[in-house]
Amino acid sequence: MNDFTDKLLKAFPNGLKASDGGTIELTDKKKLLKVVERVRKNFDILFMLTVVDRPPNFELNYVFSKYEGRDILILRTLIKHEESIDSITNLFPSADWEEREAYDLFGIKFDGHPNLKRILLPEDWPGHPLRKDFVVTDEIKNWTGLDLKF
Amino acid sequence: MEGRGIELNIGPVHPATHGVLKLVADIEGDTVKNAKVEIGFLHRGKEKIAELRYFNSYFPIVDKLDYVGALNWEILWASTVEKAMNLEINDRVKYIRAVMAEIQRIMSHLVYIGSFGQDLGNLTFFIWALRERELLMDIVEEISGGRLAPMYNRVGGVFYDFTDGIADKINTALSKIEEKVKKEYRAMTYENSLFIMRSKGIGIMGQKVIKENGVTGPNMRASGIKRDLRKDEPYLVYDKVDFEIITENDSDVYARFMVRVREILESIKIIRQLLKDMPKGDAKISAPWIMKVPAGYTLVRHEMSKGEGAMFLVTDGGLKPYRLKIRSPSFYSLQALPLVLEGCKVADAFVITASMDPVMGEVDR
Amino acid sequence: MIFNEIYSMLAYYLPPKANLIASALATFVLILIVLIATPIILGWVDRKFSARIQSRYGPIYVGKFGLLQNFADVIKLMGKNFVTNQYVDRFSYNLIPILSSALSFLLIALLPFGAPSLTFISLPYNLLFIYILLAFSPLLIIIASWGENNKFAVLGGFRSAAQITTYELALIVTFISIGMVNGSYDIINVIASQSLIWNIIYLPLTAVVFFIGSIAVIERAPFDLPESSQELQAGWRIEYSGLKYGLFMIGDYVKLLAVSILFVSLFLGGWSGAFLPGIIWFWIKTVVALMFLMSLRWSLGRPRIDQLLSIGWKWLLPLSVINLIIVEVMMLI
Repeated sequence: MNDFTDKLLKAFPNGLKASDGGTIELTDKKKLLKVVERVRKNFDILFMLTVVDRPPNFELNYVFSKYEGRDILILRTLIKHEESIDSITNLFPSADWEEREAYDLFGIKFDGHPNLKRILLPEDWPGHPLRKDFVVTDEIKNWTGLDLKF
Repeated sequence: MEGRGIELNIGPVHPATHGVLKLVADIEGDTVKNAKVEIGFLHRGKEKIAELRYFNSYFPIVDKLDYVGALNWEILWASTVEKAMNLEINDRVKYIRAVMAEIQRIMSHLVYIGSFGQDLGNLTFFIWALRERELLMDIVEEISGGRLAPMYNRVGGVFYDFTDGIADKINTALSKIEEKVKKEYRAMTYENSLFIMRSKGIGIMGQKVIKENGVTGPNMRASGIKRDLRKDEPYLVYDKVDFEIITENDSDVYARFMVRVREILESIKIIRQLLKDMPKGDAKISAPWIMKVPAGYTLVRHEMSKGEGAMFLVTDGGLKPYRLKIRSPSFYSLQALPLVLEGCKVADAFVITASMDPVMGEVDR
Repeated sequence: MIFNEIYSMLAYYLPPKANLIASALATFVLILIVLIATPIILGWVDRKFSARIQSRYGPIYVGKFGLLQNFADVIKLMGKNFVTNQYVDRFSYNLIPILSSALSFLLIALLPFGAPSLTFISLPYNLLFIYILLAFSPLLIIIASWGENNKFAVLGGFRSAAQITTYELALIVTFISIGMVNGSYDIINVIASQSLIWNIIYLPLTAVVFFIGSIAVIERAPFDLPESSQELQAGWRIEYSGLKYGLFMIGDYVKLLAVSILFVSLFLGGWSGAFLPGIIWFWIKTVVALMFLMSLRWSLGRPRIDQLLSIGWKWLLPLSVINLIIVEVMMLI
């Protein structure tokens, strides 16, 4: 796996940089799709997508895995709170529901996602709970789900 | 909503679906043209709660993820925090955890095959499978004090060591279960022509669908992919035990059922070896109750009873986690479900959903 | 007929006119007892038997051994409100439980209860009339499911009607075979002609076809797909509550008893047997057939509707026709 990471770093010298523990950091989020295309050659699925809220940024950790052996690749990137990022669903269909969950709980918009709707919370629920600046407002306290707004 | 099709809402409150799962199926005649899966009815915000609780106080929450095989997730959470703290655990604790993990795997598979038989109309079989599970529940209760939510692990070890004579009790229970699985279950299910008629050739999930959607676990092994984290990335003491990875080649409902039945027999083999080789001594706990975990990122993945589960822990050097993300295998099985349900009959829709073994506690967190 | 028996018993004590009325009343009370006792006793046996198969106890609290449990259930059902959807078609919705259970009661009244004289109604063409009663159900089911005004009920009703229509074709061929071998369509004569050899030895294939076909026609598991509680909740009976639902259940158990008695009469020789009086043989055989029928529900899964229909058309109907041909050939020899 390490020579795959080295090849990847050499192919995108000003978009990627190595981080601790074998993770790769994506410094230019416009190159995301090209990098993920390269990753696709070696890895099969998006194993999980972890979003960490470090105000004023969101840190997305893409974990890729494959069906033989134990290799994983963690790709990390930072976006600002109000930015959107490309969806990798065309390359990794297993990212479909993970990106919907990130949208649901954090409010990150993914461009090009086929069905970006809330998945875990009800569709008319206000707010994105896993943000660090989430406050339980009166609207949330009084939400009953009985008056559907759609 | 065009044409002459009916849109049928199955669930979320329906005696046949497994937990609160909603399927919206477009039906024409007796065939499902396409189906949409809606989840989220059991969302309890466990990932947010993780940011509010101390590391050791999070175990009751982790128990309720996969409520039929709770100890697997507890062990995963304990292993994650221990890896983040670079903590070494005792050998005896590793064996104890492996034994409990395998026991819970058998219990989870028994619930699966029982409720699967019930979906085909065979209520007797459901009660028989639960009867076998009772034998193991009594053992889990004797060891840890809890039946469904044991809360047995803590960071650095387990709460109680095995009691004297428990190894014999476990062996007796396992022999009974093995005998039942090999005789009664064979006649009722896998060599019963009504069962075979209802399950062979149905719900085929090819390798392409699996590899695109990230399906892991017994569902994946039923299509011939030979992968098991206990062999490919051994954790606890699985590298010291001799067992096989069970695969089947047909990838239909019958194959998924058979994989789990044979995995029960493999797990029985594993537990017997572990009990023989268990080192004597103290199951010492090597960490305080409230502790600081150094800052960093930790990813640990284990083979749960339903697939590859993982926890991604982000810490900032404090007493509570900064962010915890739980990857549950049933989430991905359900993501692949609409592709498998296309073109099947209505009566088979329930059978196929049941064969994917979704547990909504895991999916919705 | 039972009426005649009672009349002749009371003839010692009462003048003819009073005798007529008294015997009529006594017969009426007797049939009521049979109709009420059947679902209660059969229901209790079903529950205890299924419980023991499933390693559990079954009813143990209400009465000794739980004997009064079904009594309690019937009383509970009678006390429930009739919760009715406001969009049902009142006439058909309310008519069908009455008609359906009346048909099953009529079925039981035509069958002998252990001796040639112990029938409530005696007809020379018993077998054909029984067939008509069994085959009448699809029409009632379709009317009921239409009247209930519910998507699930209609789906279940169509499935049910399709299933019963398929399997009753095999049944009529079976009845014709019996008629040919025994020379009569009267159950009493059929039993009488089996006094030396039981029909099951001449007609083993027909016995199997009849057994399977009759389970499908009375909609008992494993052929209870229309009522399958795992998929279409209670199928076409979904909108019925309280005593109307209870009437359907009573009809089900009465039909179960009727089918067991039919099987015993047509294939197992009825009341013929050595050493013991005929009536005891009859009831022993009926109990054995009944227990076997009941245990099928608790040990087998359920086939899908298209598999069910394909079994009926591809296997059962041709088998019964083949058997008929074999019987004809045997008769010619």
